[in-house]
Amino acid sequence: MTGAQPKLLRHETVLAALTMIAMAVLASLSDKFFTADNLLNQGRLMAEVGLISLAMTFVIVTGGIDLSVGSILGLTAILLGVFWKNLGLPLPAAIVLATVCGTFAGFVNGLIITRFGVPPLIATLATLALYRGLAEGISEARSVRGYPEWFFFFGQGEVLGVPFQLWVLGLATAAAAVILGLTPFGRATYAIGANEVAARFSGIRVNAVKLWIYTASGFCAALAAVIFVSRVTTTRSDMGTGLELDAITAVVLGGTSIFGGRGTIIGTALGLVLIQALKNGLALSGVKGDGAIVVIGLVLIGAILVGALFDRNRGG
Amino acid sequence: MQAEQMSAAAASDVALPIALAGISKSFAGIRVVNDVSFDMRPGEVHALMGENGAGKSTLIKIMAGLHQPDSGEIMVSGKAVRFASPREAHAAGIATVHQELLLFPELTVAENIFIGQTPKTALGAIDWTAMRRRARQLLDELDSGDLDIDQKVIHLSVGNRQRIEIARALAQDARVLIMDEPTAALAEHDVQRLMSIVRSLRKRGVAIVYVSHRMPEIFALADRVTVLRDGHLVGTRPVPEVDEPALVSMMVGRSIDRLYPAKQGKDGDVMLELAGVCHRGAVRDISFQLRRGEILGLAGLVGSGRTETALTIFGVTPATAGRILIDGKPVTIASPGQARDLGIAYVPEDRAHQGLIRPQTIEDNIALANLGRLTRGFFVDAAKVAAEARGAIARFGIRARGPGQPVRQLSGGNQQKVVLAKWLATNPRILIMDEPTRGIDVGAKAEIHQLMRKLAGEGMAILMISSELPEVLGMSDRVLVMNGGRIAGEFDKAHATAEAVGTVMTRSYARERAA
Ligand SMILES: Nc1ncnc2c1ncn2[C@@H]1O[C@H](COP(=O)(O)OP(=O)(O)OP(=O)(O)O)[C@@H](O)[C@H]1O
Ligand SMILES: [Mg+2]
Repeated sequence: MTGAQPKLLRHETVLAALTMIAMAVLASLSDKFFTADNLLNQGRLMAEVGLISLAMTFVIVTGGIDLSVGSILGLTAILLGVFWKNLGLPLPAAIVLATVCGTFAGFVNGLIITRFGVPPLIATLATLALYRGLAEGISEARSVRGYPEWFFFFGQGEVLGVPFQLWVLGLATAAAAVILGLTPFGRATYAIGANEVAARFSGIRVNAVKLWIYTASGFCAALAAVIFVSRVTTTRSDMGTGLELDAITAVVLGGTSIFGGRGTIIGTALGLVLIQALKNGLALSGVKGDGAIVVIGLVLIGAILVGALFDRNRGG
Repeated sequence: MQAEQMSAAAASDVALPIALAGISKSFAGIRVVNDVSFDMRPGEVHALMGENGAGKSTLIKIMAGLHQPDSGEIMVSGKAVRFASPREAHAAGIATVHQELLLFPELTVAENIFIGQTPKTALGAIDWTAMRRRARQLLDELDSGDLDIDQKVIHLSVGNRQRIEIARALAQDARVLIMDEPTAALAEHDVQRLMSIVRSLRKRGVAIVYVSHRMPEIFALADRVTVLRDGHLVGTRPVPEVDEPALVSMMVGRSIDRLYPAKQGKDGDVMLELAGVCHRGAVRDISFQLRRGEILGLAGLVGSGRTETALTIFGVTPATAGRILIDGKPVTIASPGQARDLGIAYVPEDRAHQGLIRPQTIEDNIALANLGRLTRGFFVDAAKVAAEARGAIARFGIRARGPGQPVRQLSGGNQQKVVLAKWLATNPRILIMDEPTRGIDVGAKAEIHQLMRKLAGEGMAILMISSELPEVLGMSDRVLVMNGGRIAGEFDKAHATAEAVGTVMTRSYARERAA
């Protein structure tokens, strides 16, 4: 596979071990932590940021970043409510249409980045403000509630005893892992991140690949929005604020290089689980919210240092 | 035995600027430098030669403080030293121009020259005026007054970047200057400039380690030559005591047929035709025809528009005017992907930035231009990818641990072979080669020339850009001379002599500058 693979597997092994240790410690701190109910519920809470992290892995592997995902989530949520309540569309149509809009927002990011050569950080920083502003303008600070009962299935329902959105996340993770790891598209993604010029000289359609990835990022954020609204039963314009940072944290913790060219979906999934376990386990053992953030920050720094250590040992 | 003599000599002579005794170095358990002794005298040019992967660059990196030897001793002016970092080697007066350019593309020329050694004002801030003045002065000394010191390096050609590397080494006031294939990227004219710089440095008493695969340079420049083979020291000789065949057999352990292979068969139909092709100011009104089975040489100085023409054909910088025809049919080529799908391959001049993804493995690099063919259903066929890479390693004699080795760990010449392998794997009908044998050793070079002839004999059309005039003249069936973005002359095999081609290259150059 790709050049850095053995190293990444090592990073992932370390991460898996770390996750296991964290779980064991947290279970010993609180007897509520390691119960099926709690774990499944945590899976439910993880799904939205999880979906976004999957696409974010692709984005970061190309050497880019997408800061606008939280805003796209908020915008999609608002549009869903407005399409249904204010425009009177049937709810299924409103869901589809809002998802299309969120996806389009990602496509616009991609266009700005590929057509006009704006660095992803700047482009998505701008659309972070833009999309959030749109969401607030459209909602006029009102929230939408009163969705029909069937709609809550996406965010609260279960299939075979497992939360619905956990199935979605599981399938999406598998698909993303296969695409990034085994297909020509995945190869192109790594190549662009490692050396964009050489990728282009090799006949890779660099702009097309990036456009797809940013569009997919918008789509994942839109999907997360639908699940989010269904889970919390209302729509507000500040939904998803700061979510981009949670996603980036999971991806980087998972061993993806912020400079591009390296990273795996398995790493991201492990990063996600570790963060969620820490948040939940620490809360259960009575650590205040701020304490959990500090611990997550420390774990992230530790993971990056370990990664840098591997880098040095690899030589070259 | 040789080694013992050398180290004894090194120990007795305190004035030697640098002397290595019994140096060994392994990577991943494989010895790439094995018990090598080597010394430099003040004011000498000491050539270091050997096949691709013989260990030249590794030995140099040890002297430059980039690698630490596993065993052996480094003496600077008679004192044993250990360099823990390149900074310490600099401090000891050892400057290096590395084989793979290490410049910072987003910084300016002046900033690159002084990186890590910026002149400071009394307050400790960067002294920009002094820095720019010194940069100007250094480049003038290098006869490169035409370089704009405020330009970002990313916009410069390989040749110009190389000169900045040399200026950077000079800025350190070095007593030992190590140059790892400094001329590989330069055209004939620039090589002459560089050689006169080297001679003047020698007069100042600087000891110069000079790595090159080009024999004429060695005989024109070097005082002594040391040859490595498979990491072992073969010997050190005064240059007047050896000749070319002797050196070659020291390097490869056998003699090599250095004659250019003869043309096989006849040219076929016109395969590629350019009619009035332009790209902005760099490519102006280029028209020529390239036939099946033909090797067309493109000669010219660095910056004459040869590479730019290739990039236009390959769709990197699509034509802004004119027509490109393949098999007589007009085509639009707006991207390298399109060019590749039309059967065009381009082996670029800058392997580190354009040719390879250096952190990735040999097999990944070869696969990248061939993903369509190496995919089954939706998935990349890992077995086929590995088989393809193993085939390439065998066919081109690439020295590597296996298809899974990252290319950045390969020696420069072996990296070049990976680029060639990657593009030949696309089974192109039209092959454009930009400096195809840059940094390739004598033996492998002869093999690549034979391969080119064989491919042409099988019906491939080849466009070759080379800054080595003998190579252009020896390999080409026809030579086009470029200058100032235009075609300034055309010669068939019988009339393409070094004088005739050289005159057109430089005469028009002078006119361009005057204009
Ligand atoms: N960091 C590394 N890790 C593993 N192997 C390495 C590393 N650096 C160099 N090598 C190996 O050491 C050998 C010697 O390489 P070196 O670069 O010194 O060759 P060279 O004589 O400079 O060749 P060239 O003429 O092609 O530049 C090669 O086989 C190369 O693959
Ligand atoms: Mg070398």
